[in-house]
Amino acid sequence: MADEAHLRASLLRGLAGDEAAHRGFLTDAAGLLRSYFRNRLRGQAEDAEDLVQETLVALHTRRHTYDPNYPLTAWMYAIARYRFIDFLRRSKHRAHASLDGVDVGDVDPQFDASDAKRDVAVLLDKLPEKQKTAIRLVKLEDRSIREAAAATGLSESDIKISIHRGLKTLMRLMGQEQVT
Amino acid sequence: MKTERLIDVLAQGVEATERPRWRVNLAITLLVGLVVGVAAVVIGLGVRPDIDTARMPVMMKVMFSGLAAAVVLPLALRLMKPGRPLGWRVGAVVLFVALCGACVVVALMGEEPGDRLAMWMGNGVLWCVVLIPVLAAPTAALLVWLMRAFAPTRLTLAGAAIGALSGGVGAMAYAMYCPVDSAAFVMTWYVLGIALSAAIGSLVGAKFLRW
Repeated sequence: MADEAHLRASLLRGLAGDEAAHRGFLTDAAGLLRSYFRNRLRGQAEDAEDLVQETLVALHTRRHTYDPNYPLTAWMYAIARYRFIDFLRRSKHRAHASLDGVDVGDVDPQFDASDAKRDVAVLLDKLPEKQKTAIRLVKLEDRSIREAAAATGLSESDIKISIHRGLKTLMRLMGQEQVT
Repeated sequence: MKTERLIDVLAQGVEATERPRWRVNLAITLLVGLVVGVAAVVIGLGVRPDIDTARMPVMMKVMFSGLAAAVVLPLALRLMKPGRPLGWRVGAVVLFVALCGACVVVALMGEEPGDRLAMWMGNGVLWCVVLIPVLAAPTAALLVWLMRAFAPTRLTLAGAAIGALSGGVGAMAYAMYCPVDSAAFVMTWYVLGIALSAAIGSLVGAKFLRW
């Protein structure tokens, strides 16, 4: 399982623009987050997976707030804990849940990714047209920023900003959803 | 969408991120907030009429308020980003308030017993405590906007820190108007005005800082 040093190295390489490293970071983070949320939401695997996805988007869009002088896991679990408290607020869930500490418990290898309750693809569809198009071209159809700019007639920086804003909007939509 | 697919989407075409220039942004935010606060005093309340002869005490009050803001600043910065230990920064604020309390007692002890109450209460207690949060509001709004671009995770504390920080800035503007100059008055009621800003901030922090 990923440890602090490994995770930190991947994130820092990702921050420098290394796509594979960033993917690796998100994948490892997803595993840890899954344990973290499943241990707090026993029997609610789908809610836990929603939170994993929500937190991944949060980690991604706020990755610039990580300061290399501080432990990566403290940063990551602070965000996870924040999303978890936000979830509890949303769901008015009053069951016992441990909020303090970042002890994730044992990582159970049987924790496979279950289906999330919400479908991110549906939420992406709700984004404003420009943001949606930019994300679709670059993120879903794997086109380069330049190609996307040419295809839409927008400037390259416009495409980048639209993607960035779109992902932030996505995170907000994830947080607004009514938990059932 | 499966989580694996989401990860692909997020990682796809990722580019080097720029380090946010938060120091510059923060400095601009505080400066703009102060200018708006001072403008509100000049237009809404009117600068105290004896400003020419009272430069010294006004200066002292502005510096005291600025000091209060500076004491809260490290704490506010810590709360801006996730997972940072607060350490001595809370202690600094507590120490500052305790020192103010001690100074108030010492200052009042030096007065004639009959004058103490008048020195302490001045004649504008209520206005002072109420107007400092009002004048802090523009700075607070700007700070919330700035902080949301980062990722505060302890919203109540972050709200309180923003409230106190902008309260200090508001008090700097208020000093232009405030007609009372006694140290005991300023150290009590300015600090309470700033504390009220912090309390309001902690109550509304979770609402406005949510991201």
